[in-house]
Amino acid sequence: MAQNVNPSSPSQLTPEKVNGNSGQPPLDNHAVTKRLHKELMELMMRGEKGISAFPEGENLFKWVGTICGADGTVFEGFEYKLSIQFPHAYPYSPPVIKFTSQCYHPNIDLSGNICLDILREKWSPLYDVSTVLLSLQSLLGEPNNASPLNPQAAAMWKDPSAYRSYLLSNYSQFYKK
Amino acid sequence: MDSPGEDEIWADMAVIFPVFNDAPWSEPAPAVDPALWESFVRALAKHDMCELLEDIMVAKISEHLLEVAEEFWARVTDQTVLGFDRFKQAVQGLDRDSANMLQYVRRIEDMRRMAGVTRKIYGIDDWSVLLKYLIRATLHSQLPVPKELSAIGDFYALSFKVFYHQEKSSREFNESGEEYHCNGCVELAEDCKCDQIIASFHFVNRILIKLELLERLAGDVLTSLMHKQIESHVQDTCESCYTMCFIEPLEKWLNSVVVGWLNHLYSTAPECPETQSKLITFKRKLNHLLYETYTMSRIDQLFNIIIEYPESSPAITDLKLCLKKTHLRPVLVEKLKATLGKRLLHPGVNTPDIITAYISSIKALRDLDPTGIILETCTNPVRQYLRGREDTMRCVVMSLTEEGPGDLADELAYGDESNQVETNWEEWLPDPIDASDTKEDKERQSWDIISMLVNVYGSKEVFVHEYRNLLADRLLTQYSYNTEKETRYLKLLKLRFDDSQLHYCEVMLRDVFDSKRLNTHLHAEPNFGLNQQELEVTCMILSAQFWPVFKEEKLELPEKIKKHLEIYTKAYEAIKGNRTLCWKPHLGSVNIELELKGRTANYTVTPTHAAIIWHFQEKDQWTIDELSGVLHVPPTVLRRRIGYWQTQGLLKEVATDTFLLVEDSAARTAKNVAASDAMMCEDDEAESIMASAQDQREEELQVFWTYIFGMLKNLESLPLDRIHMMLKMFASQGPSAVECSLQQLKQFLDAKVRDHKLLFSGGFYRLPK
Repeated sequence: MAQNVNPSSPSQLTPEKVNGNSGQPPLDNHAVTKRLHKELMELMMRGEKGISAFPEGENLFKWVGTICGADGTVFEGFEYKLSIQFPHAYPYSPPVIKFTSQCYHPNIDLSGNICLDILREKWSPLYDVSTVLLSLQSLLGEPNNASPLNPQAAAMWKDPSAYRSYLLSNYSQFYKK
Repeated sequence: MDSPGEDEIWADMAVIFPVFNDAPWSEPAPAVDPALWESFVRALAKHDMCELLEDIMVAKISEHLLEVAEEFWARVTDQTVLGFDRFKQAVQGLDRDSANMLQYVRRIEDMRRMAGVTRKIYGIDDWSVLLKYLIRATLHSQLPVPKELSAIGDFYALSFKVFYHQEKSSREFNESGEEYHCNGCVELAEDCKCDQIIASFHFVNRILIKLELLERLAGDVLTSLMHKQIESHVQDTCESCYTMCFIEPLEKWLNSVVVGWLNHLYSTAPECPETQSKLITFKRKLNHLLYETYTMSRIDQLFNIIIEYPESSPAITDLKLCLKKTHLRPVLVEKLKATLGKRLLHPGVNTPDIITAYISSIKALRDLDPTGIILETCTNPVRQYLRGREDTMRCVVMSLTEEGPGDLADELAYGDESNQVETNWEEWLPDPIDASDTKEDKERQSWDIISMLVNVYGSKEVFVHEYRNLLADRLLTQYSYNTEKETRYLKLLKLRFDDSQLHYCEVMLRDVFDSKRLNTHLHAEPNFGLNQQELEVTCMILSAQFWPVFKEEKLELPEKIKKHLEIYTKAYEAIKGNRTLCWKPHLGSVNIELELKGRTANYTVTPTHAAIIWHFQEKDQWTIDELSGVLHVPPTVLRRRIGYWQTQGLLKEVATDTFLLVEDSAARTAKNVAASDAMMCEDDEAESIMASAQDQREEELQVFWTYIFGMLKNLESLPLDRIHMMLKMFASQGPSAVECSLQQLKQFLDAKVRDHKLLFSGGFYRLPK
């Protein structure tokens, strides 16, 4: 039976294959891959202190990032991990970034979602991984307390020394110094 | 009836066969009256006693033979008599005994004929055959251990020696000497026993052949004896002489000497097809032995044969023929592999030597085995080893472009015609069994030496890269603007390699050519004022994109020279709008004329050298630090450069790091000869002006390191193979894609671990906290 089937006619396997393919990026993702390769190279060569990112596995669209709190802020010495997921429309739509380590911060909710305009409505294709990471690093030191995701943190922000001691006592696992 | 009764038969039997009554066998059988014999036989037939008589006879003979055999072996193994005589006497005794028994056997035969008995005993109906049969059986039943049989070996060895020397001396008459020893029997010439020996040799052989004992008693001995002879002959004739074919002379020798002796041995035997077939078997065996021995000896010398190729091509031809007739191919491969490893693949051998040996093995083995399998298997370790040597490609490129020892330049000129040999399908042969099945037939067929060498690295890029460096070196050290030769080589190389790969080299040559033109042009134009300059400046204008990376060295030129260069730059800018020159002051060469006390000297040196000596115009004494300050050259480099002037006797180190100009030639010569000898070895011309491959490699690895750092920073810890895979996926994408094997990566990472830049535990690498 099986041998008599026309090889060009859709076989039973095909639906699965289609399903498998649907998860894959569209055909024009070569340009995206190229861009991501370039961004990775730039990031590596620049060797910026305090920010870093690298593809998590074989998938170039899913990266892991690391941000260190800037010196002179309450987050000094803290190091946070992020997950970065690039959409296939990248760079025309922004990457989806989440904190994977719990960051007690006015603009970051408890599941790691970030409230940052350039990751949403103000995204521009001119941004790249390193600019986004740098913005996130500065966001740590200068939160936007007008639209907090974490009201408790926003309330505490006014007192930096209390904030810092709260961080050190509750989130010391991210303190790297 | 007057026929005798049973009692009388018994009585007659005792008379006719006295041995039945335990009479000794050695006594001759008594003569019997024919009438008595006739009536005796008739009576036997009548009483049906013929078979009984036969049985008694067999029993008696068997019984007697036990003694005979014992005596025979006792004689053979008797240590008190010389081997040769021992065997002869034993055989003599055996002959006597068998003759004694034969008398009675004759009678039995007679009886059988008269009585018409046809019974078979032991399946044999001929009594004389039966007797031999019994003798052989009994002798073998008592065969002593082989080591006691040395007498047989002695006997044949001596007789062969005698024969061999007779044969020889009949060909080439011996030199005269007062105390001439016969070479055969090692006796003084006057009592030479050769003739005696030959006589007894024939005698013994005749008996043994008669008893059909020769092959059984002496077969092994003969074979091993001849094997030894063949071996020593092959050794004597073919050792370390590879320029002749030996197969024919060897076969001739075998036929005339060894087979001649065999013929001699069998000459006493009756001419019959049986002897002939024995001889033929023997000959075949010997022929095979000869081939095997010769092949083995050639295999042992194969390395030397390869080194002397093509002078040794007759030896290769011989070996090729021998390999077809013997099954020594695997032995050859193993031995050659081992020898190559032992002779070539250790640090004591220079790379050019290895390459030369590799080239001649390619040539020789391709002659030996056109399928290329021997070459493939034997030289694989060599290729692997060469891959590990840093200067391999450099040596290959050098010998390609210069008339080096390997004649590679000629090979290059041949082009790869050898690849296009049409194969005739009718002559197709399957691959030998030792061929690896992974490789395509075609791949193996690419015989071209240059591609084999280039493929040591598996890629042409490394070769092209190395060639580019070498070309740059040569172009920049010659400053002759003469690119004719280089262009020719480049054209030849382009036949073999991709145009695109050699494009850079083309541009380099073009640069040199253009510079020459531009120089003449600028100097010819009076407006630029170049021809009114005190010093003539010519320059080589290089397209930075296409040249290999230069070793960076700083050098601050003297003001006067700088002015000259500025004028040149202006002239260039005038002619080529929107372009300017970026000088590499440390490259180039300077012709200087030094005016010293009472003499002048001419030198062609590098700019650094010239700048150093320039500054000694101002004052006679400089310290290294002062010079370094003026020239912006690091003290270590400076010291090396000053070394050159020291060997020339112009500078003298008066105190540590303080140098004085020596103008007086008389003071100079005497003192500095010794010093110059010592300094001569510090030859700085061998230095390449290109950044070394190692430096470049390190730079590439540095790029990897940033990636590794990045991935470990974010992914915490990774095993080696993940790192390798990630690097492959993410780091080797750009135009300067670099390959880094797992092994290299491991070394690199382990070095980082040693430097405490990484931690390694449980198979995972991580960054230190």
